[in-house]
Amino acid sequence: MKYILKSYRKRFLYKTLLVLNSTNQMKKPFFTILLLVSMLSGCQTDKKEDKNPKYLRWVGDIVQNEQTDASGFRICNGEENVLQYFNLGEGPVYHGEKKSIVRRFKSQFTPIPDDKEDGLIRIRFLVNCEGMAGRFRVLQSDYQYQEKEFDSEIVSQLLSTTTSIEQWEVLYRNNIPVDYYMYLIFKISDGQLTEILP
Amino acid sequence: MKNITLLLILFSTSNIMAQPNCESFKYYGDMIKYEACQKAMEIKGHYQFSKEYQTILDKAIAIDPTYDYPYWAKSVAYLKSGDFVTWKKLIDKAVELNPIGHLGYRGWCRYQFFRDYKGSIEDIEKLDSLVDYDIGHSQNGTYHLNIAKGLCYKGIGEREKAIGILEKQIDLNEKQDFIGAYDYLHLGVLYYETEKFEKAIEMFTKQAETNDLAENHYYLALTYRELDRLTEYKSSLKTAKERYLDGKKMSDPYSNPMDKIYLEDIESELKNG
Repeated sequence: MKYILKSYRKRFLYKTLLVLNSTNQMKKPFFTILLLVSMLSGCQTDKKEDKNPKYLRWVGDIVQNEQTDASGFRICNGEENVLQYFNLGEGPVYHGEKKSIVRRFKSQFTPIPDDKEDGLIRIRFLVNCEGMAGRFRVLQSDYQYQEKEFDSEIVSQLLSTTTSIEQWEVLYRNNIPVDYYMYLIFKISDGQLTEILP
Repeated sequence: MKNITLLLILFSTSNIMAQPNCESFKYYGDMIKYEACQKAMEIKGHYQFSKEYQTILDKAIAIDPTYDYPYWAKSVAYLKSGDFVTWKKLIDKAVELNPIGHLGYRGWCRYQFFRDYKGSIEDIEKLDSLVDYDIGHSQNGTYHLNIAKGLCYKGIGEREKAIGILEKQIDLNEKQDFIGAYDYLHLGVLYYETEKFEKAIEMFTKQAETNDLAENHYYLALTYRELDRLTEYKSSLKTAKERYLDGKKMSDPYSNPMDKIYLEDIESELKNG
């Protein structure tokens, strides 16, 4: 089992590094934009429909999309056993504590000139038993909680930073590392990143 | 600890509104609502995120779309998963049908989960305008709703207003011997931020006496630093670190509370101090 997990991890890291490395080598911004747009289009699928809801196992469950989700990401204990971060009684915890997450986003986020948008952007994802994240989904609204779409460059920056975090906290239940759902909510005011929750 | 422990125990089972009295609908002859209520009660034993839980509540709504409880109960899972869009639609419906029953809850959640300071203030003040009794506590029991409102005023930069609200509510809480777990700490931090250092020390001392945390020692240290009391500054930082490592720190199952500190904050001060 351990070998399988390590193997998944290596493949995932290899793929991620390959993408990031090749991006760094691509000096032409066109390719960088193309990559982010591609990531973004794969993640902007969390539109809300009121009529005739078809529930999955739990509210908010994220099904693997073979076309857009990283193929190297795997959960460890089965879809039926994925928990929510707060099920473990530790509150929202971050590898290196929340300050390191906030610092990372604040240092990497560049406001778009003349963009004065307000609202909330949630990026929700799975963290597996090794602390790796995958299946990222984006939800956006204005401050009246009405769905909207921010400038794609704002979302792509936040998504890019989120997906670049290689290690999330490993959470345990009965001494067994579990898979869990986690999310980050970004408050955007006048185009500036003002708060990161939870 | 005065009554903090009691308060936390009372509110720690988060579904305070989870048990409506269906019989009361029957008593008043509202048989449709009675039927919807009975249906809704079938959620017992199902996890609030589950398909079964949500489906039962959909059926209750289908029986009586004017019954507020199923909308509220459905909304909780969306709130906790960070789905603010669906949550808001559901909780708005509950508020529309029963404003007094849900405004305080919605106001608190807007603060706790989304730091929607203005929205939270609006809801809590609206509730206050509708009732002539005490508006009560946050869903988790940590704060009186007026304290939460005060923190929201701080969130939008109105610190003096926040101080006034917290002072008034803490005074009432003291008279009832029912102090919130972090009340003194928040007021102390507000005093510190507005350079009322002696008052800040008084609040951090009270916090240590009622619910001793890393945070009160950390902010006490910062206050001492401002007053050039460097020996106390260093000893308070040392105590803050001890408390932190002992797990005595601000916490919330779903979010990071306002004024919470991290080990890095303490170590950074220890390094630079």
